[in-house]
Amino acid sequence: MATVREWHVDPVAFERDYLKPIHRVGTITSTLIFLALFLPSIWLYFITGVFPDWQTILTGFGLAMTYAIPFYISEPIAYYPIVGNAGWYLCGTIGNGSNLRVPCAAVAQEVAGVKEGTMEGELVAAVGVTVSVFVSVPAIFFGALFINQIQQFFPAWLLDAFNRFLLPAVFGSVWGQFILRGWKYAPFAFVLALVPILYKVHSAWALVICVLGTMVVGWAMLRFLKIEA
Amino acid sequence: MDWKEVANGLWIWICGGITSGLGLYMAYYFYKRAVSFMHNSGVPKEETRSMVRGAVITAIGPVLSNIFIMIALAVAISPGLAFQREGVGVGSVFTELVQVSNAAIAAGEKFGDPSFTMKGFAAAVFIMNIAGWGWAVEAIFTRYLGKAREKLTGGDPKLLAVIAACSMVAVFSYYSVSNAIKGNGFLVAVVVSLLSSMFLFKLADWMKRPHFKEWALGIAMFVGMIAGKLYAG
Repeated sequence: MATVREWHVDPVAFERDYLKPIHRVGTITSTLIFLALFLPSIWLYFITGVFPDWQTILTGFGLAMTYAIPFYISEPIAYYPIVGNAGWYLCGTIGNGSNLRVPCAAVAQEVAGVKEGTMEGELVAAVGVTVSVFVSVPAIFFGALFINQIQQFFPAWLLDAFNRFLLPAVFGSVWGQFILRGWKYAPFAFVLALVPILYKVHSAWALVICVLGTMVVGWAMLRFLKIEA
Repeated sequence: MDWKEVANGLWIWICGGITSGLGLYMAYYFYKRAVSFMHNSGVPKEETRSMVRGAVITAIGPVLSNIFIMIALAVAISPGLAFQREGVGVGSVFTELVQVSNAAIAAGEKFGDPSFTMKGFAAAVFIMNIAGWGWAVEAIFTRYLGKAREKLTGGDPKLLAVIAACSMVAVFSYYSVSNAIKGNGFLVAVVVSLLSSMFLFKLADWMKRPHFKEWALGIAMFVGMIAGKLYAG
């Protein structure tokens, strides 16, 4: 059986037949999703006649942004190189980048045997991320619809295990996969992750330090020692 | 009118359905484009099926986790709003609960208190939704991320590969270390899942069974989760 490693992507066809339509549909749909963020408040106003006043909006928005803005900066820097264009449209609008989209992109790339950051890697990541959307959106819908039954059906210890320990286990397992693929950068990434945490740097800035720091190390290894990824 | 009377109304399910429908359409379009391009480039259908299987298996654990964690949001506010925010929502459940509290404070009320009224609920709906505006706007301008990357790397394929590899290792180093440092079951969950994942991926290579990799992450995350729970009790 032929392996995916052998396939060749024509850059001109990739730009014309893949990227261009992806950007067209991605931009339009993302804009519609952005506008749809206002729909619940408008609809609620028509039902109840209640709409938050400007003072409330500005105060609440200000409080929300103190938390969110650092992540607006750190997440595209961290995720875009892995998930590519289609993946980032979906991470930005549908969310759950670190715990769901990136792991699914990574496992699809691993199965396909392609390298991230290449055209092949971008196509395979798109498959991984889109499939994760096909699974998560309907599952969340049915989960919300049958929330009471779910609470009764699953034992409390299993719910507790999922609530507390699945996320660290997702991160650990993906880290293990990526250490195998980028082992030469792993010690630097570990130190660059640990030091900001020990100094209690805000989590989003700590992520930026770790990612950009590791990228600088990788660049220096390539530039001065000719060590490739 | 009591806010609880409207919080789980059909209106919020329809709002959630609209954003979810848009998200699913976008994903479906991207999927069709990527798969047809790969098939036209000579990738066998069995290979794309294998990618899909790997992604589905990997998604099961995190999706179940999302549903279980969503219970807190559904109980605190309403299942409908939980679906509208989490179906195609950007924030984690924890973030959403923080945003509700922020909105209540901004409205001069307190979430979870009898003082929380329709005014506070309306503020919560607005703030929870608008808090994710930045990611949605960044998605709208995705094409410029690619151009910025091209400009920074000069289009050098070796440097592009280095940047992607460093990004992957660094992102999950950070998330893993920040969880492991809490100690106890968290440390156990990270270490056990890390070792399981490395072992399973290597095993697939040693056995020359690349399709075994489809299962590797899914199995490793469950093993790590159960180990963390057993250790913590």
